[in-house]
Amino acid sequence: MDDRQDRSGRVVVDGLTKRFGAVAAVDGVSFSVEPGAVTGFLGPNGSGKTTTLRMILGLVAPTTGGCRINGVPFAALRDPARVVGAVLEAQGFHPARTARRHLLACAAAIGVPDAAVDVGLGAVGLVDVADRFVGGYSLGMKQRLALAVAMLGDPQVLILDEPANGLDPEGIAWLRAFLRAFARQGRSVLVSSHLLAEIEQTADHLVVITRGRCVYRGGLDQLRGSRRPRVLVACSAPARLAHALALAGMPEVDTLPDGRLGVAGGDAVRVGDTALAAGVAIYGLADERIDLEQLFFQLTSGRWGP
Amino acid sequence: MGAVTGVLRSEFRKMFSTRLWWGLLIPVAVLSGLLNLFGGLFTGAFATLSAGDTPPLLLGSLAYSLSLTTVFAAVHGIVASAGEFRHRTVTTTYLTARSRGRVLLAKAAAGAVMGALFAGAAVSTGVLGGLAGSAAVPPVGALLSVTAVGLAVVALWGALGAALGVAIGNQVAALVVTLVYMLVVELLVSVLLTGADPAPFAQFAAYLPVNSGDVALYGIPADVLAGPVAGPAVVELLAGVSAPPPWWAALIVLAAWTAATAVVGWFVGARRDVT
Repeated sequence: MDDRQDRSGRVVVDGLTKRFGAVAAVDGVSFSVEPGAVTGFLGPNGSGKTTTLRMILGLVAPTTGGCRINGVPFAALRDPARVVGAVLEAQGFHPARTARRHLLACAAAIGVPDAAVDVGLGAVGLVDVADRFVGGYSLGMKQRLALAVAMLGDPQVLILDEPANGLDPEGIAWLRAFLRAFARQGRSVLVSSHLLAEIEQTADHLVVITRGRCVYRGGLDQLRGSRRPRVLVACSAPARLAHALALAGMPEVDTLPDGRLGVAGGDAVRVGDTALAAGVAIYGLADERIDLEQLFFQLTSGRWGP
Repeated sequence: MGAVTGVLRSEFRKMFSTRLWWGLLIPVAVLSGLLNLFGGLFTGAFATLSAGDTPPLLLGSLAYSLSLTTVFAAVHGIVASAGEFRHRTVTTTYLTARSRGRVLLAKAAAGAVMGALFAGAAVSTGVLGGLAGSAAVPPVGALLSVTAVGLAVVALWGALGAALGVAIGNQVAALVVTLVYMLVVELLVSVLLTGADPAPFAQFAAYLPVNSGDVALYGIPADVLAGPVAGPAVVELLAGVSAPPPWWAALIVLAAWTAATAVVGWFVGARRDVT
Protein backbone atom coordinates (compact mmCIF):
# COMPACT_ATOMS: atom_id res chain seq x y z
CA MET A 1 0.00 0.00 0.00
CA ASP A 2 1.10 3.47 -0.78
CA ASP A 3 1.74 5.53 2.30
CA ARG A 4 0.41 8.60 0.53
CA GLN A 5 -3.08 7.10 0.64
CA ASP A 6 -5.27 8.14 3.52
CA ARG A 7 -7.23 4.82 3.35
CA SER A 8 -10.45 6.67 4.07
CA GLY A 9 -12.35 5.01 1.26
CA ARG A 10 -13.48 8.41 0.04
CA VAL A 11 -13.76 9.24 -3.63
CA VAL A 12 -13.63 12.94 -4.42
CA VAL A 13 -14.53 14.26 -7.84
CA ASP A 14 -13.51 17.86 -8.28
CA GLY A 15 -14.51 20.06 -11.20
CA LEU A 16 -14.28 17.18 -13.62
CA THR A 17 -14.57 18.15 -17.27
CA LYS A 18 -14.09 16.10 -20.42
CA ARG A 19 -14.38 17.67 -23.82
CA PHE A 20 -14.53 15.68 -27.03
CA GLY A 21 -13.81 18.41 -29.54
CA ALA A 22 -16.36 21.14 -28.94
CA VAL A 23 -18.70 18.90 -26.98
CA ALA A 24 -18.35 18.78 -23.21
CA ALA A 25 -19.39 15.23 -22.30
CA VAL A 26 -18.75 16.03 -18.65
CA ASP A 27 -18.82 19.64 -17.57
CA GLY A 28 -17.51 20.68 -14.16
CA VAL A 29 -18.89 17.78 -12.15
CA SER A 30 -18.03 17.68 -8.44
CA PHE A 31 -19.20 15.25 -5.79
CA SER A 32 -17.85 12.91 -3.20
CA VAL A 33 -18.50 9.29 -2.36
CA GLU A 34 -18.41 8.58 1.36
CA PRO A 35 -17.54 5.31 3.08
CA GLY A 36 -20.30 3.37 4.76
CA ALA A 37 -22.91 4.44 2.24
CA VAL A 38 -24.17 3.69 -1.22
CA THR A 39 -24.01 6.66 -3.56
CA GLY A 40 -26.32 6.45 -6.53
CA PHE A 41 -25.10 8.11 -9.70
CA LEU A 42 -28.12 8.90 -11.80
CA GLY A 43 -28.58 10.32 -15.22
CA PRO A 44 -30.21 9.53 -18.55
CA ASN A 45 -28.26 7.56 -21.12
CA GLY A 46 -25.56 9.71 -22.67
CA SER A 47 -25.46 12.15 -19.76
CA GLY A 48 -21.77 11.52 -19.04
CA LYS A 49 -22.03 8.89 -16.29
CA THR A 50 -19.76 6.36 -17.93
CA THR A 51 -17.17 8.96 -18.90
CA THR A 52 -17.15 10.26 -15.33
CA LEU A 53 -16.69 6.78 -13.87
CA ARG A 54 -13.90 6.02 -16.35
CA MET A 55 -12.16 9.26 -15.40
CA ILE A 56 -12.35 8.30 -11.71
CA LEU A 57 -10.70 5.01 -12.65
CA GLY A 58 -7.92 6.62 -14.66
CA LEU A 59 -9.10 5.04 -17.92
CA VAL A 60 -10.02 8.37 -19.51
CA ALA A 61 -7.95 11.50 -18.95
CA PRO A 62 -9.99 14.53 -17.85
CA THR A 63 -9.66 17.76 -19.83
CA THR A 64 -9.67 19.67 -16.56
CA GLY A 65 -10.38 18.80 -12.97
CA GLY A 66 -9.47 15.62 -11.20
CA CYS A 67 -10.52 12.69 -9.06
CA ARG A 68 -8.99 11.34 -5.92
CA ILE A 69 -9.45 7.99 -4.28
CA ASN A 70 -8.11 7.80 -0.73
CA GLY A 71 -6.62 11.22 -1.39
CA VAL A 72 -4.58 10.25 -4.46
CA PRO A 73 -5.35 9.94 -8.17
CA PHE A 74 -6.07 6.40 -9.38
CA ALA A 75 -2.72 6.26 -11.18
CA ALA A 76 -0.89 6.80 -7.90
CA LEU A 77 -2.48 3.75 -6.25
CA ARG A 78 0.20 1.09 -5.89
CA ASP A 79 -2.22 -1.82 -5.80
CA PRO A 80 -5.28 -0.30 -7.45
CA ALA A 81 -7.45 -3.41 -7.49
CA ARG A 82 -7.04 -3.79 -3.73
CA VAL A 83 -8.47 -0.30 -3.28
CA VAL A 84 -11.08 -0.02 -6.04
CA GLY A 85 -13.13 -2.71 -7.69
CA ALA A 86 -15.03 -1.74 -10.83
CA VAL A 87 -17.87 -3.25 -12.82
CA LEU A 88 -18.06 -1.20 -15.99
CA GLU A 89 -20.66 -1.24 -18.70
CA ALA A 90 -19.72 -3.52 -21.57
CA GLN A 91 -16.70 -4.77 -19.66
CA GLY A 92 -14.69 -7.02 -21.86
CA PHE A 93 -13.98 -10.69 -21.75
CA HIS A 94 -12.21 -12.75 -24.36
CA PRO A 95 -15.00 -14.88 -25.80
CA ALA A 96 -12.80 -17.96 -26.04
CA ARG A 97 -11.37 -17.80 -22.53
CA THR A 98 -13.09 -19.51 -19.62
CA ALA A 99 -14.31 -17.51 -16.63
CA ARG A 100 -11.92 -19.36 -14.34
CA ARG A 101 -8.90 -18.57 -16.51
CA HIS A 102 -9.98 -14.94 -16.84
CA LEU A 103 -10.16 -14.68 -13.05
CA LEU A 104 -6.84 -16.49 -12.65
CA ALA A 105 -5.15 -13.95 -14.92
CA CYS A 106 -6.69 -11.13 -12.87
CA ALA A 107 -5.69 -12.78 -9.59
CA ALA A 108 -2.06 -12.92 -10.76
CA ALA A 109 -2.09 -9.25 -11.71
CA ILE A 110 -3.69 -8.22 -8.42
CA GLY A 111 -1.40 -10.49 -6.45
CA VAL A 112 -4.04 -12.53 -4.62
CA PRO A 113 -3.75 -16.31 -4.25
CA ASP A 114 -5.50 -18.52 -6.81
CA ALA A 115 -7.81 -19.79 -4.08
CA ALA A 116 -9.54 -16.39 -4.18
CA VAL A 117 -10.81 -17.29 -7.65
CA ASP A 118 -12.92 -20.19 -6.39
CA VAL A 119 -14.24 -18.06 -3.55
CA GLY A 120 -15.19 -15.33 -6.03
CA LEU A 121 -16.87 -17.77 -8.41
CA GLY A 122 -18.88 -19.15 -5.50
CA ALA A 123 -19.90 -15.70 -4.33
CA VAL A 124 -21.44 -14.78 -7.66
CA GLY A 125 -22.84 -18.22 -8.37
CA LEU A 126 -20.77 -19.11 -11.43
CA VAL A 127 -19.00 -22.22 -10.11
CA ASP A 128 -20.89 -24.60 -12.37
CA VAL A 129 -20.12 -22.67 -15.55
CA ALA A 130 -16.61 -21.49 -14.59
CA ASP A 131 -14.90 -23.71 -17.16
CA ARG A 132 -17.07 -22.62 -20.06
CA PHE A 133 -16.03 -19.99 -22.57
CA VAL A 134 -17.32 -16.57 -21.59
CA GLY A 135 -18.50 -16.08 -25.19
CA GLY A 136 -21.45 -18.33 -24.34
CA TYR A 137 -22.44 -16.34 -21.27
CA SER A 138 -25.60 -14.27 -20.98
CA LEU A 139 -25.30 -10.58 -20.18
CA GLY A 140 -26.33 -11.32 -16.60
CA MET A 141 -23.61 -13.96 -16.23
CA LYS A 142 -21.04 -11.52 -17.59
CA GLN A 143 -22.20 -8.93 -15.04
CA ARG A 144 -21.71 -11.52 -12.30
CA LEU A 145 -18.27 -12.38 -13.62
CA ALA A 146 -17.34 -8.70 -13.76
CA LEU A 147 -18.44 -8.38 -10.14
CA ALA A 148 -16.29 -11.38 -9.22
CA VAL A 149 -13.31 -9.66 -10.88
CA ALA A 150 -14.06 -6.42 -9.05
CA MET A 151 -14.23 -8.21 -5.68
CA LEU A 152 -11.08 -10.27 -6.23
CA GLY A 153 -8.80 -7.73 -4.57
CA ASP A 154 -11.16 -7.29 -1.58
CA PRO A 155 -11.43 -3.57 -2.38
CA GLN A 156 -12.43 -0.68 -0.17
CA VAL A 157 -14.38 1.08 -2.89
CA LEU A 158 -16.76 -0.46 -5.40
CA ILE A 159 -17.70 1.40 -8.58
CA LEU A 160 -20.44 -0.05 -10.75
CA ASP A 161 -21.77 1.26 -14.06
CA GLU A 162 -25.35 0.12 -14.76
CA PRO A 163 -24.78 -3.20 -12.98
CA ALA A 164 -28.45 -4.14 -13.18
CA ASN A 165 -28.35 -4.33 -16.98
CA GLY A 166 -29.04 -7.88 -18.00
CA LEU A 167 -29.80 -9.11 -14.51
CA ASP A 168 -33.11 -10.81 -13.83
CA PRO A 169 -35.29 -9.48 -10.97
CA GLU A 170 -33.80 -12.09 -8.66
CA GLY A 171 -30.30 -10.98 -9.62
CA ILE A 172 -31.17 -7.33 -9.06
CA ALA A 173 -32.51 -8.09 -5.58
CA TRP A 174 -29.36 -10.07 -4.83
CA LEU A 175 -27.15 -7.23 -6.07
CA ARG A 176 -29.08 -4.72 -3.98
CA ALA A 177 -28.55 -6.76 -0.81
CA PHE A 178 -24.91 -7.29 -1.73
CA LEU A 179 -24.22 -3.57 -2.14
CA ARG A 180 -26.03 -2.69 1.09
CA ALA A 181 -23.98 -5.29 2.97
CA PHE A 182 -20.78 -4.05 1.36
CA ALA A 183 -21.48 -0.47 2.44
CA ARG A 184 -22.45 -1.60 5.95
CA GLN A 185 -18.89 -2.86 6.36
CA GLY A 186 -17.79 0.77 6.18
CA ARG A 187 -16.81 0.59 2.53
CA SER A 188 -17.86 2.90 -0.29
CA VAL A 189 -20.15 2.16 -3.19
CA LEU A 190 -20.76 4.31 -6.25
CA VAL A 191 -23.39 2.81 -8.52
CA SER A 192 -24.77 4.37 -11.67
CA SER A 193 -28.13 3.91 -13.27
CA HIS A 194 -30.45 5.63 -15.68
CA LEU A 195 -33.48 4.50 -13.67
CA LEU A 196 -34.16 6.00 -10.26
CA ALA A 197 -36.40 3.11 -9.26
CA GLU A 198 -33.49 0.77 -9.74
CA ILE A 199 -31.35 2.31 -7.02
CA GLU A 200 -34.01 4.07 -4.96
CA GLN A 201 -33.99 1.26 -2.42
CA THR A 202 -30.21 0.94 -2.39
CA ALA A 203 -28.76 4.43 -2.40
CA ASP A 204 -28.25 6.64 0.63
CA HIS A 205 -26.97 9.54 -1.41
CA LEU A 206 -27.74 10.65 -4.90
CA VAL A 207 -25.72 12.44 -7.53
CA VAL A 208 -27.82 13.34 -10.56
CA ILE A 209 -26.22 14.49 -13.78
CA THR A 210 -27.71 15.47 -17.07
CA ARG A 211 -25.96 16.67 -20.20
CA GLY A 212 -22.64 16.45 -18.36
CA ARG A 213 -23.67 18.70 -15.50
CA CYS A 214 -24.44 17.88 -11.91
CA VAL A 215 -28.06 18.89 -11.14
CA TYR A 216 -28.57 17.32 -7.74
CA ARG A 217 -26.33 16.19 -4.94
CA GLY A 218 -27.63 15.03 -1.61
CA GLY A 219 -29.76 12.56 0.27
CA LEU A 220 -32.73 10.75 -1.17
CA ASP A 221 -34.99 12.11 1.60
CA GLN A 222 -33.85 15.65 0.88
CA LEU A 223 -34.81 15.13 -2.72
CA ARG A 224 -38.25 13.93 -1.68
CA GLY A 225 -38.50 16.93 0.70
CA SER A 226 -37.32 19.37 -1.90
CA ARG A 227 -40.89 19.62 -3.12
CA ARG A 228 -43.55 20.76 -0.69
CA PRO A 229 -46.59 18.52 -0.56
CA ARG A 230 -49.49 19.89 -2.60
CA VAL A 231 -53.19 19.37 -2.83
CA LEU A 232 -54.55 19.02 -6.34
CA VAL A 233 -58.00 20.51 -6.91
CA ALA A 234 -60.34 20.25 -9.85
CA CYS A 235 -63.07 22.85 -9.50
CA SER A 236 -65.69 24.93 -11.31
CA ALA A 237 -63.91 28.32 -11.00
CA PRO A 238 -60.16 28.05 -10.59
CA ALA A 239 -59.46 31.80 -10.61
CA ARG A 240 -62.04 32.49 -7.92
CA LEU A 241 -60.76 29.63 -5.80
CA ALA A 242 -57.14 30.80 -6.14
CA HIS A 243 -58.17 34.23 -4.95
CA ALA A 244 -60.07 32.77 -1.98
CA LEU A 245 -57.14 30.52 -1.11
CA ALA A 246 -54.76 33.49 -1.10
CA LEU A 247 -57.07 35.32 1.26
CA ALA A 248 -57.19 32.21 3.47
CA GLY A 249 -53.37 32.17 3.75
CA MET A 250 -52.54 29.73 0.95
CA PRO A 251 -51.03 31.94 -1.74
CA GLU A 252 -48.85 29.27 -3.40
CA VAL A 253 -51.18 28.08 -6.08
CA ASP A 254 -50.11 26.76 -9.47
CA THR A 255 -52.26 25.88 -12.42
CA LEU A 256 -51.48 22.41 -13.72
CA PRO A 257 -51.48 21.60 -17.45
CA ASP A 258 -54.76 19.70 -17.00
CA GLY A 259 -56.44 22.79 -15.53
CA ARG A 260 -56.32 21.64 -11.93
CA LEU A 261 -54.85 23.80 -9.21
CA GLY A 262 -51.82 22.69 -7.22
CA VAL A 263 -52.05 24.18 -3.73
CA ALA A 264 -49.02 24.19 -1.43
CA GLY A 265 -49.09 25.01 2.25
CA GLY A 266 -52.50 23.57 2.98
CA ASP A 267 -54.25 20.23 3.34
CA ALA A 268 -57.39 18.83 1.71
CA VAL A 269 -59.61 19.87 4.60
CA ARG A 270 -58.58 23.54 4.51
CA VAL A 271 -58.78 23.67 0.73
CA GLY A 272 -62.23 22.04 0.75
CA ASP A 273 -63.54 24.36 3.46
CA THR A 274 -62.21 27.42 1.63
CA ALA A 275 -63.85 26.30 -1.61
CA LEU A 276 -67.17 25.72 0.14
CA ALA A 277 -67.01 29.18 1.75
CA ALA A 278 -66.24 30.74 -1.63
CA GLY A 279 -69.08 28.86 -3.29
CA VAL A 280 -66.82 26.99 -5.75
CA ALA A 281 -67.88 23.49 -6.67
CA ILE A 282 -65.17 20.87 -6.20
CA TYR A 283 -65.02 17.95 -8.65
CA GLY A 284 -61.86 16.36 -7.33
CA LEU A 285 -59.52 16.78 -4.41
CA ALA A 286 -56.33 14.77 -3.90
CA ASP A 287 -53.00 14.87 -2.14
CA GLU A 288 -50.21 14.96 -4.69
CA ARG A 289 -47.97 11.93 -4.44
CA ILE A 290 -44.25 12.76 -4.45
CA ASP A 291 -43.19 10.68 -7.36
CA LEU A 292 -39.42 10.37 -7.28
CA GLU A 293 -39.31 9.15 -10.82
CA GLN A 294 -41.13 12.28 -11.91
CA LEU A 295 -38.77 14.40 -9.83
CA PHE A 296 -35.86 12.67 -11.47
CA PHE A 297 -37.38 13.34 -14.84
CA GLN A 298 -37.84 17.00 -13.98
CA LEU A 299 -34.25 17.22 -12.74
CA THR A 300 -32.78 15.64 -15.81
CA SER A 301 -34.90 17.57 -18.24
CA GLY A 302 -33.42 20.72 -16.75
CA ARG A 303 -36.61 22.32 -15.42
CA TRP A 304 -35.87 21.72 -11.81
CA GLY A 305 -32.53 23.06 -10.59
CA PRO A 306 -30.85 22.25 -7.31
CA MET B 1 9.33 -6.46 -7.68
CA GLY B 2 6.35 -8.56 -6.75
CA ALA B 3 4.07 -6.37 -8.80
CA VAL B 4 6.25 -6.81 -11.88
CA THR B 5 6.15 -10.59 -11.65
CA GLY B 6 2.42 -10.43 -10.94
CA VAL B 7 1.64 -8.54 -14.14
CA LEU B 8 3.98 -10.83 -16.07
CA ARG B 9 2.31 -13.94 -14.64
CA SER B 10 -1.02 -12.44 -15.57
CA GLU B 11 0.14 -11.94 -19.16
CA PHE B 12 1.35 -15.55 -19.36
CA ARG B 13 -1.97 -16.77 -18.05
CA LYS B 14 -3.82 -14.71 -20.65
CA MET B 15 -1.47 -15.87 -23.39
CA PHE B 16 -1.91 -19.57 -22.66
CA SER B 17 -5.65 -19.42 -21.98
CA THR B 18 -6.79 -18.84 -25.57
CA ARG B 19 -6.23 -20.83 -28.74
CA LEU B 20 -4.02 -18.19 -30.31
CA TRP B 21 -0.64 -19.53 -29.25
CA TRP B 22 -1.03 -23.07 -30.47
CA GLY B 23 -2.98 -21.89 -33.48
CA LEU B 24 0.22 -20.14 -34.57
CA LEU B 25 2.70 -22.65 -33.11
CA ILE B 26 1.37 -25.54 -35.19
CA PRO B 27 1.84 -23.83 -38.59
CA VAL B 28 5.30 -22.67 -37.48
CA ALA B 29 6.32 -26.22 -36.63
CA VAL B 30 4.80 -27.75 -39.75
CA LEU B 31 6.17 -25.08 -42.06
CA SER B 32 9.67 -25.35 -40.63
CA GLY B 33 9.61 -29.15 -40.83
CA LEU B 34 8.56 -29.10 -44.50
CA LEU B 35 10.94 -26.30 -45.51
CA ASN B 36 13.92 -28.09 -44.05
CA LEU B 37 12.78 -31.44 -45.39
CA PHE B 38 12.92 -30.13 -48.92
CA GLY B 39 16.06 -28.16 -48.34
CA GLY B 40 14.33 -24.86 -48.75
CA LEU B 41 15.24 -22.30 -51.28
CA PHE B 42 18.90 -22.45 -50.36
CA THR B 43 20.14 -25.55 -51.98
CA GLY B 44 20.71 -23.83 -55.26
CA ALA B 45 22.29 -20.76 -53.77
CA PHE B 46 24.79 -22.71 -51.73
CA ALA B 47 25.56 -25.52 -54.12
CA THR B 48 27.40 -23.19 -56.45
CA LEU B 49 29.29 -21.41 -53.69
CA SER B 50 30.52 -24.35 -51.64
CA ALA B 51 33.43 -26.56 -52.66
CA GLY B 52 33.08 -29.35 -50.03
CA ASP B 53 31.29 -32.64 -50.50
CA THR B 54 28.03 -32.12 -48.64
CA PRO B 55 27.88 -28.72 -46.98
CA PRO B 56 25.55 -28.42 -43.94
CA LEU B 57 22.86 -26.64 -45.93
CA LEU B 58 20.47 -27.31 -43.07
CA LEU B 59 21.88 -24.25 -41.29
CA GLY B 60 20.73 -22.08 -44.17
CA SER B 61 17.26 -23.54 -44.43
CA LEU B 62 16.87 -23.32 -40.66
CA ALA B 63 17.76 -19.64 -40.82
CA TYR B 64 15.16 -19.22 -43.57
CA SER B 65 12.43 -20.92 -41.56
CA LEU B 66 13.38 -18.83 -38.52
CA SER B 67 13.04 -15.75 -40.72
CA LEU B 68 9.50 -16.82 -41.60
CA THR B 69 8.81 -17.57 -37.93
CA THR B 70 9.38 -13.89 -37.10
CA VAL B 71 6.13 -13.09 -38.94
CA PHE B 72 4.20 -15.52 -36.73
CA ALA B 73 5.82 -14.11 -33.60
CA ALA B 74 4.91 -10.57 -34.66
CA VAL B 75 1.32 -11.63 -35.39
CA HIS B 76 1.08 -13.31 -32.00
CA GLY B 77 2.40 -10.23 -30.22
CA ILE B 78 -0.02 -7.95 -32.06
CA VAL B 79 -3.08 -10.09 -31.41
CA ALA B 80 -2.13 -10.61 -27.76
CA SER B 81 -1.88 -6.82 -27.28
CA ALA B 82 -4.34 -5.25 -29.69
CA GLY B 83 -6.81 -8.07 -28.97
CA GLU B 84 -7.15 -6.63 -25.48
CA PHE B 85 -8.51 -3.46 -27.02
CA ARG B 86 -10.71 -5.43 -29.39
CA HIS B 87 -12.29 -7.50 -26.61
CA ARG B 88 -12.12 -4.59 -24.16
CA THR B 89 -10.27 -6.74 -21.66
CA VAL B 90 -7.70 -3.93 -21.49
CA THR B 91 -10.02 -2.14 -19.03
CA THR B 92 -9.54 -4.88 -16.45
CA THR B 93 -5.86 -5.16 -17.33
CA TYR B 94 -5.28 -1.48 -16.62
CA LEU B 95 -7.48 -1.52 -13.51
CA THR B 96 -5.49 -4.36 -11.97
CA ALA B 97 -1.97 -3.17 -12.83
CA ARG B 98 0.08 -0.55 -11.08
CA SER B 99 0.74 1.32 -14.32
CA ARG B 100 0.22 1.07 -18.04
CA GLY B 101 3.99 1.05 -18.50
CA ARG B 102 4.26 -2.16 -16.51
CA VAL B 103 1.53 -3.73 -18.61
CA LEU B 104 3.44 -2.83 -21.78
CA LEU B 105 6.68 -4.28 -20.43
CA ALA B 106 4.93 -7.46 -19.33
CA LYS B 107 3.28 -7.81 -22.73
CA ALA B 108 6.60 -7.33 -24.53
CA ALA B 109 8.30 -9.84 -22.25
CA ALA B 110 5.52 -12.40 -22.69
CA GLY B 111 5.57 -11.82 -26.45
CA ALA B 112 9.33 -12.41 -26.44
CA VAL B 113 8.96 -15.67 -24.56
CA MET B 114 6.31 -16.85 -27.02
CA GLY B 115 8.60 -15.83 -29.88
CA ALA B 116 11.41 -17.90 -28.38
CA LEU B 117 8.98 -20.81 -28.03
CA PHE B 118 8.06 -20.47 -31.72
CA ALA B 119 11.78 -20.37 -32.64
CA GLY B 120 12.44 -23.44 -30.53
CA ALA B 121 9.63 -25.28 -32.28
CA ALA B 122 10.88 -24.15 -35.70
CA VAL B 123 14.40 -25.40 -34.96
CA SER B 124 13.17 -28.70 -33.51
CA THR B 125 10.91 -29.67 -36.39
CA GLY B 126 13.38 -28.07 -38.82
CA VAL B 127 16.27 -30.29 -37.68
CA LEU B 128 14.03 -33.34 -37.68
CA GLY B 129 12.74 -32.49 -41.15
CA GLY B 130 16.24 -31.79 -42.43
CA LEU B 131 17.64 -35.04 -41.10
CA ALA B 132 14.66 -36.93 -42.50
CA GLY B 133 15.48 -35.35 -45.84
CA SER B 134 19.03 -36.68 -45.35
CA ALA B 135 20.68 -33.30 -45.10
CA ALA B 136 24.25 -33.28 -43.80
CA VAL B 137 24.45 -32.97 -40.02
CA PRO B 138 25.73 -29.48 -39.28
CA PRO B 139 28.49 -28.89 -36.72
CA VAL B 140 26.87 -28.85 -33.27
CA GLY B 141 28.48 -25.50 -32.38
CA ALA B 142 27.15 -23.82 -35.50
CA LEU B 143 23.71 -25.37 -35.00
CA LEU B 144 23.57 -24.09 -31.43
CA SER B 145 24.70 -20.64 -32.56
CA VAL B 146 22.04 -20.46 -35.26
CA THR B 147 19.47 -21.63 -32.71
CA ALA B 148 20.55 -19.03 -30.17
CA VAL B 149 20.47 -16.18 -32.70
CA GLY B 150 17.13 -17.49 -33.98
CA LEU B 151 15.64 -17.50 -30.48
CA ALA B 152 16.82 -13.93 -29.99
CA VAL B 153 15.56 -12.63 -33.37
CA VAL B 154 12.13 -14.27 -33.13
CA ALA B 155 11.81 -13.23 -29.47
CA LEU B 156 12.55 -9.62 -30.44
CA TRP B 157 9.85 -9.79 -33.11
CA GLY B 158 7.42 -11.20 -30.56
CA ALA B 159 8.15 -8.25 -28.26
CA LEU B 160 8.04 -5.77 -31.13
CA GLY B 161 4.64 -7.08 -32.20
CA ALA B 162 3.31 -6.79 -28.64
CA ALA B 163 4.52 -3.19 -28.37
CA LEU B 164 3.11 -2.39 -31.81
CA GLY B 165 -0.26 -3.82 -30.80
CA VAL B 166 -0.36 -1.45 -27.83
CA ALA B 167 0.79 1.48 -29.97
CA ILE B 168 -1.80 0.95 -32.72
CA GLY B 169 -4.59 -0.47 -30.58
CA ASN B 170 -6.82 -1.47 -33.48
CA GLN B 171 -6.12 -5.15 -34.09
CA VAL B 172 -7.07 -5.29 -37.77
CA ALA B 173 -5.12 -2.12 -38.58
CA ALA B 174 -2.09 -3.34 -36.65
CA LEU B 175 -2.12 -6.70 -38.42
CA VAL B 176 -2.58 -5.24 -41.89
CA VAL B 177 0.07 -2.55 -41.42
CA THR B 178 2.58 -5.00 -40.00
CA LEU B 179 2.05 -7.79 -42.50
CA VAL B 180 2.09 -5.44 -45.49
CA TYR B 181 5.24 -3.83 -44.16
CA MET B 182 7.05 -7.08 -43.33
CA LEU B 183 6.11 -8.88 -46.52
CA VAL B 184 5.97 -6.10 -49.11
CA VAL B 185 6.99 -2.59 -48.14
CA GLU B 186 10.38 -3.33 -46.67
CA LEU B 187 11.21 -5.48 -49.68
CA LEU B 188 10.41 -2.61 -52.05
CA VAL B 189 12.29 -0.08 -49.94
CA SER B 190 15.29 -2.41 -49.85
CA VAL B 191 15.30 -2.75 -53.63
CA LEU B 192 15.15 1.02 -53.98
CA LEU B 193 17.88 1.56 -51.41
CA THR B 194 20.29 -1.10 -52.63
CA GLY B 195 19.95 0.21 -56.17
CA ALA B 196 20.48 3.75 -54.93
CA ASP B 197 23.20 6.11 -55.91
CA PRO B 198 25.21 7.39 -54.03
CA ALA B 199 26.25 4.08 -52.53
CA PRO B 200 26.05 5.01 -48.80
CA PHE B 201 22.27 4.93 -49.07
CA ALA B 202 22.48 1.33 -50.21
CA GLN B 203 23.86 0.29 -46.83
CA PHE B 204 20.76 1.55 -45.04
CA ALA B 205 18.72 -1.38 -46.27
CA ALA B 206 20.52 -3.71 -43.89
CA TYR B 207 19.37 -1.63 -40.93
CA LEU B 208 15.64 -1.88 -41.59
CA PRO B 209 13.77 -4.07 -39.06
CA VAL B 210 13.05 -7.16 -41.18
CA ASN B 211 16.44 -7.01 -42.89
CA SER B 212 18.39 -6.59 -39.68
CA GLY B 213 16.74 -9.73 -38.34
CA ASP B 214 17.56 -11.58 -41.55
CA VAL B 215 21.17 -10.36 -41.52
CA ALA B 216 21.48 -11.64 -37.95
CA LEU B 217 19.92 -14.99 -38.89
CA TYR B 218 21.92 -15.58 -42.09
CA GLY B 219 25.30 -14.31 -40.74
CA ILE B 220 26.42 -17.52 -39.05
CA PRO B 221 25.12 -19.99 -41.68
CA ALA B 222 26.78 -17.91 -44.40
CA ASP B 223 30.06 -17.90 -42.50
CA VAL B 224 30.01 -21.65 -41.99
CA LEU B 225 28.90 -22.48 -45.52
CA ALA B 226 30.77 -19.92 -47.61
CA GLY B 227 33.63 -18.92 -45.32
CA PRO B 228 34.35 -15.57 -43.75
CA VAL B 229 35.35 -13.96 -47.05
CA ALA B 230 32.36 -14.94 -49.19
CA GLY B 231 29.94 -14.97 -46.22
CA PRO B 232 28.84 -11.33 -46.36
CA ALA B 233 28.12 -11.69 -50.07
CA VAL B 234 25.83 -14.63 -49.30
CA VAL B 235 24.07 -12.59 -46.62
CA GLU B 236 23.63 -9.77 -49.15
CA LEU B 237 22.04 -12.20 -51.55
CA LEU B 238 19.72 -13.84 -49.01
CA ALA B 239 18.66 -10.77 -47.06
CA GLY B 240 18.51 -8.48 -50.08
CA VAL B 241 20.84 -5.91 -48.58
CA SER B 242 24.19 -4.42 -49.38
CA ALA B 243 27.29 -4.26 -47.14
CA PRO B 244 25.56 -5.95 -44.14
CA PRO B 245 26.92 -5.54 -40.62
CA PRO B 246 28.02 -8.64 -38.66
CA TRP B 247 25.20 -10.78 -37.21
CA TRP B 248 25.64 -9.47 -33.67
CA ALA B 249 25.46 -5.86 -34.81
CA ALA B 250 22.32 -6.65 -36.80
CA LEU B 251 20.84 -8.19 -33.65
CA ILE B 252 21.53 -4.96 -31.78
CA VAL B 253 19.87 -3.01 -34.59
CA LEU B 254 16.73 -5.15 -34.32
CA ALA B 255 16.80 -4.73 -30.54
CA ALA B 256 16.95 -0.97 -31.08
CA TRP B 257 13.89 -1.13 -33.39
CA THR B 258 12.08 -3.15 -30.74
CA ALA B 259 13.02 -0.66 -28.04
CA ALA B 260 11.91 2.24 -30.25
CA THR B 261 8.54 0.55 -30.84
CA ALA B 262 8.20 -0.03 -27.10
CA VAL B 263 8.86 3.66 -26.43
CA VAL B 264 6.15 4.63 -28.94
CA GLY B 265 3.79 2.09 -27.36
CA TRP B 266 4.62 3.51 -23.95
CA PHE B 267 3.81 7.08 -24.95
CA VAL B 268 0.73 6.32 -27.02
CA GLY B 269 -0.58 3.70 -24.58
CA ALA B 270 -0.20 5.97 -21.56
CA ARG B 271 -2.26 8.70 -23.20
CA ARG B 272 -4.98 6.64 -24.79
CA ASP B 273 -8.49 7.00 -23.39
CA VAL B 274 -9.98 3.58 -22.73
CA THR B 275 -13.68 4.14 -23.36
